[in-house]
Amino acid sequence: MEDYLGYLDRVKRALADLEVDEINPLLKGALEAGVKAPDLLNAMSAGMEVVGRRFEAGEYFLADLVLAGEEMKEGVEVLKPHLSAGDTGGKGAVVMCTVKGDIHDIGKNLVCIMLSSAGFKVVDLGVDVPAEKVVEAVRGNSAFAVGLSVLLTTMVGSIGEVVEALRSAGLRDSVKIAIGGACTTQELADRYGVDALGRDAVEAVRIFSGWAA
Amino acid sequence: MAEQHDRVLAALELREPDRVPVMGMVTDYTSMGEILGKRPLPLGLFFSNRVMARVTDLLASIDNYAAFVRLAMDSFTRGSVAAAVKMGYDAIWVFYLPTWRYLNSREVRDIYGRMWEADLDSRGNLKSPMYRKGLITSPEDWRAWPKEDIFRLPALYNRIFRRLQREYGDRIFMFASFSAGLFELSWQCMGFERFVMAARKEREFIERMVRFYADLYSLIIEAVADAGIPGVIYSDDLAYRSGPMLSPKLYEEIFGEAYRRIVDTAHGQGMKIVMHSCGNVYDLLEWFVDCGFDGVHALEPTAGVDLAKVKEMVGDRICLVGNMDVTHVLVDAGREEVKEAVRRSISAAGAGGGYIIAPTNSHESMTVRNLRWMVEAAERCGRYPLGEM
Repeated sequence: MEDYLGYLDRVKRALADLEVDEINPLLKGALEAGVKAPDLLNAMSAGMEVVGRRFEAGEYFLADLVLAGEEMKEGVEVLKPHLSAGDTGGKGAVVMCTVKGDIHDIGKNLVCIMLSSAGFKVVDLGVDVPAEKVVEAVRGNSAFAVGLSVLLTTMVGSIGEVVEALRSAGLRDSVKIAIGGACTTQELADRYGVDALGRDAVEAVRIFSGWAA
Repeated sequence: MAEQHDRVLAALELREPDRVPVMGMVTDYTSMGEILGKRPLPLGLFFSNRVMARVTDLLASIDNYAAFVRLAMDSFTRGSVAAAVKMGYDAIWVFYLPTWRYLNSREVRDIYGRMWEADLDSRGNLKSPMYRKGLITSPEDWRAWPKEDIFRLPALYNRIFRRLQREYGDRIFMFASFSAGLFELSWQCMGFERFVMAARKEREFIERMVRFYADLYSLIIEAVADAGIPGVIYSDDLAYRSGPMLSPKLYEEIFGEAYRRIVDTAHGQGMKIVMHSCGNVYDLLEWFVDCGFDGVHALEPTAGVDLAKVKEMVGDRICLVGNMDVTHVLVDAGREEVKEAVRRSISAAGAGGGYIIAPTNSHESMTVRNLRWMVEAAERCGRYPLGEM
């Protein structure tokens, strides 16, 4: 038991401390020692939570979040053969995209990774996504929330298009919408009637978790 | 030398000019056409119209097409400086990017190994392409990447800036600039996620690239200095709305030496050099001062940057440039609101000199009308000695 918990603690700490070379060998060793993959996944998620807290405290920077996210992705690949469908995405589906006319994706990708590691099923539609695709994905995945990323000031109108398309499809009342990205402001969120504005990926996780609760 | 030159120089040297100088940028055909009273060349049709786009696809395969694009770039750059003079700006951040290679009517590759997407503004005019991805993801890619076009840049810069200085140098203070800074260039060549991993695990690969571009930028600075240009804006977006993208320590480790070399080259040529970074740069301000920059530009209010706080932190050691909001104030605000924003910025940073008012960035939704109001208000509120505001 002590060994079992020791493995989980080491995985969590390796991710939290960004010991990037250690995580995969650790995971492989733990699996061989009989540690269950869902527990290791939870340990990595706990490590990501620490990374998020350190980011908010100003100890870590964007690149550290990305580094942790990349390690998380690689770790999930190691665990994947040992995981079943029910082990991930239990907090519900979130549709994510960069809006039509904008192809910036660093922030969006980061939010996707952070949400996945926090237990959401993330439907990432990519960049330059028209409103109708968002509607389709919300419907097809029974998503409870949508995250829209926009960096370009000139493309903020695309936010309104998504809100309107969801309203026309009769989905607006059942779906929460959050926006984020360099040009987004509370004034913009109010103007388009979205439910929340996220300053960064860590805040995004808090917003979606609040809605999932 | 012209009053504009003296005014800008005084501000950069943290002295009080006769009034707070105004800097602008002209980066799109629509604004340029409106300012100069000319209809922009309908270049957008070559990308939006199906038949014309086919023509672009065919032209792009011709060997000397790059020369044609460069001529269009030369013409755009000259027009942008003429427009800035007509706007009454004291200084202009000149964009000259003879680096694009249109592969067809949709895709653009630049000579640094970045892929872009051709883009039009809401009025159908050609605008700066949007970054898509990088093509240099390994040391092998970097070694193999063709660099002949890169080596030609200093001569191209010298030729265009010599002409610009001859035609407009007595009416406006010109800041030359590069395509992107060392950080932007190195991450965009490979994608941000790949860059972050490489910075941790393959530092030598990144450092080699950084050294190469620091050499190149030093040569370009010498070339524009030779053309008589008095300033450089070194543009490298290091931060986003919540703070720096890398830790200040990592920036220093990877880029510190190269930054100082670029700054020293500019100073060695008798030029002033201003650092531009979008985003919340509080954590980087001391580093910019330490690297020796004469000014720092952007200071975006939408990223939470409080100009008065920046003035207090570093305003006695570096000139502050920018702070005019480009999401609302210079887009769709009324005249009084623009005037109030100008008054607020000058009140926050103008005391004792060391402030140049300017938009934080440039995009085609900014209106010429609001930019004129900004200039008008700066001329009224920015006279030294500054009165009660």
